[in-house]
Amino acid sequence: MADFSRRDVFKLAGVGALIGTMHLSSTACAATTASRMLPPSKGNRVVIVGGGWAGMTAAKHLKKEMGDKVDVVLIEKRKIFMSCPISNVWLGGLVEMDFLMHDFHTPASKYGYTFINATVTDIDRDKKRVYTTEGYVDYDYLILAPGIRYNYDAWFKGDKDMARICATHFPSAFIPGSEHVALKRKVDNFEEGTFVLVVPPPPHRCPPAPYERAAMIAHVFKKNGVKGRLIILDPKDQIKPKGPGFRQAYEQLYLDIVEYVPNAKVKEVDPVNKVIKTTAGDFKFDDANLNPPHQAGDLAWKAGLVNPKTGWCDVDQLTLQSKLDPHVFVAGDASSVKGFPKSGDMAHNHTQNMVVKALTALLKGKDPYEAVKAPTNTCYSMVNGSPKEAIVINVLYEIDRKKKAPVKKKVNVENTRSARLAHATFEWAKALYRDMFS
Amino acid sequence: MNRREFLKVCSTVATASLASPSLFSKLVQAQEGAFKKYKKALLVKEDGSPLKPEDLKVGKEYIFFYPYRSTPCMLIDLGEEVKGTQVKLSDGTTYYWQGGVGPKKSVVAYCSICPHQLSYPTPEFSFINYYPSDTPSKVVGRGNVIQCCAHMSIFDPKKGGTVIDGPAPNPLLTIVLEFSDGKFYAVGTLGKEPFEDFFDAYRRGLRKRYGSSRKAKELVEKSTVVEVEKYAKEIIRC
Repeated sequence: MADFSRRDVFKLAGVGALIGTMHLSSTACAATTASRMLPPSKGNRVVIVGGGWAGMTAAKHLKKEMGDKVDVVLIEKRKIFMSCPISNVWLGGLVEMDFLMHDFHTPASKYGYTFINATVTDIDRDKKRVYTTEGYVDYDYLILAPGIRYNYDAWFKGDKDMARICATHFPSAFIPGSEHVALKRKVDNFEEGTFVLVVPPPPHRCPPAPYERAAMIAHVFKKNGVKGRLIILDPKDQIKPKGPGFRQAYEQLYLDIVEYVPNAKVKEVDPVNKVIKTTAGDFKFDDANLNPPHQAGDLAWKAGLVNPKTGWCDVDQLTLQSKLDPHVFVAGDASSVKGFPKSGDMAHNHTQNMVVKALTALLKGKDPYEAVKAPTNTCYSMVNGSPKEAIVINVLYEIDRKKKAPVKKKVNVENTRSARLAHATFEWAKALYRDMFS
Repeated sequence: MNRREFLKVCSTVATASLASPSLFSKLVQAQEGAFKKYKKALLVKEDGSPLKPEDLKVGKEYIFFYPYRSTPCMLIDLGEEVKGTQVKLSDGTTYYWQGGVGPKKSVVAYCSICPHQLSYPTPEFSFINYYPSDTPSKVVGRGNVIQCCAHMSIFDPKKGGTVIDGPAPNPLLTIVLEFSDGKFYAVGTLGKEPFEDFFDAYRRGLRKRYGSSRKAKELVEKSTVVEVEKYAKEIIRC
């Protein structure tokens, strides 16, 4: 579907509807796609597309701020929520999978919003309508939280077969689900040889995640007595953020396992012969975690809201309204705000303090810029599995009302790994899961 | 605040003030529902005898439970007089925080459930703690703060638990203390209560610890004050 234009989709829907009238029994999907799912809006409907960290936060906090005065509809395609944050810790075998898994139903029931478990097929911004596999929903405001997609085209120049081979044999696991399970199996099964981990070029989802992942993979290799190397190929010239903390962990805990290669920009990936060519040399591997560049999620492209030059959505830096459509807020990783990393914590924070505050003000007829609050961002990284030890970065922002943008006020980093910070890592996650899911 | 709410506040404040007339004048200043009276509870030591001012070490963090048997609070003697101040909530409500109590007016108490995401001290860990001046927070490089290590919310114990930095939307809930005849009593709360969310979020854990949600919600009439290290196996300061 990714290559279809919006017009194609409408054409298909039209054909589906036509067939539906002729063969009622065999066209349930097409018929429901064209049907209205909810009563018409009373002028206060906010449809949230995407139940990730941004979408879940938006749904709850809009209801908390406005109660019955807002009609919130959350549309998510997955049957169950799996958290990307902490998934590296799970990859390292330090938590069970149920730590990551959460249900969509409890918060919808508790806070009183409508949860629709369906896949969005198109977004018609002129009609303010979201089409799904179950029917369509009209909105007054849309919060688009589609997350990311992988840009394999940057590596394979449109060769879909090679992209598929790469994605199948060496899944990236930056979008939760089957890919994560596949990667864990690879890591657990690895016995000897060279395992390559490619760091995507910035900006990508969760800047420290590739380095934390490397530490957790190295922890598993160390525990399993693997005779092999983990090579980190980084397009940047140094580890960022928390560079000293990661470097110390690699040197002090995994010296015989981890090899860090900076300035290794990917030139060519050959997933068949297992070779990757970079600006720092060519690397042959036995197994790998190949992470292509990231872009805004598919639905942002489908809605026509992505700046093709950057691959991300241009938004108002305070309200996160799309620069192309003020009725659409782009929350989470798909939006581009200067100084904001793409991460679960940041998505949660900017959604709660900026998107929800601005939208609430708009719905109440007030000034959204006045309502926006400064977010914070706290990011723990587990670097040791035995004993569990972590490092942390915490960024405080303030709102520059003149520039109409958030600016960094203070950056606190603790690069000395400790068990205390490992405990705090789990509490960080539990607390945010509590906020979104209980 | 409508008329009925205002009358309710006045009556609770008035009732509280019977116990401590000095409280009345300050608490009645447009508390806007921020003050809530609970059962008056005597603070005691582990041996059951009343806690006296000289039992408190300056700068030491103590824990007790109030107003429910499962809701933890911290008690700190800050060593010098702490003056009252106006405190503002995120919804614009303001209230007057009484300042320190005790002979030196130096003892303060706050509910130790983080107003951000409800992290609280358990027998295993305590993530939200007081950092005395000689044990500064490594993250922010200063002491005399209360900090939650889950998401780095930082509060000012000398200013009614107001937020210094971090994501917490509201100040710490104040536990209103009264000092009379050389004894400390907890009489109510001041600020935005996190209890409803707390009981909801931790239902499973509280049931395990106290037997049932109902038992976890029992109000206390006496509360034992212990050093936080005696309660939680690990104190997480960051």
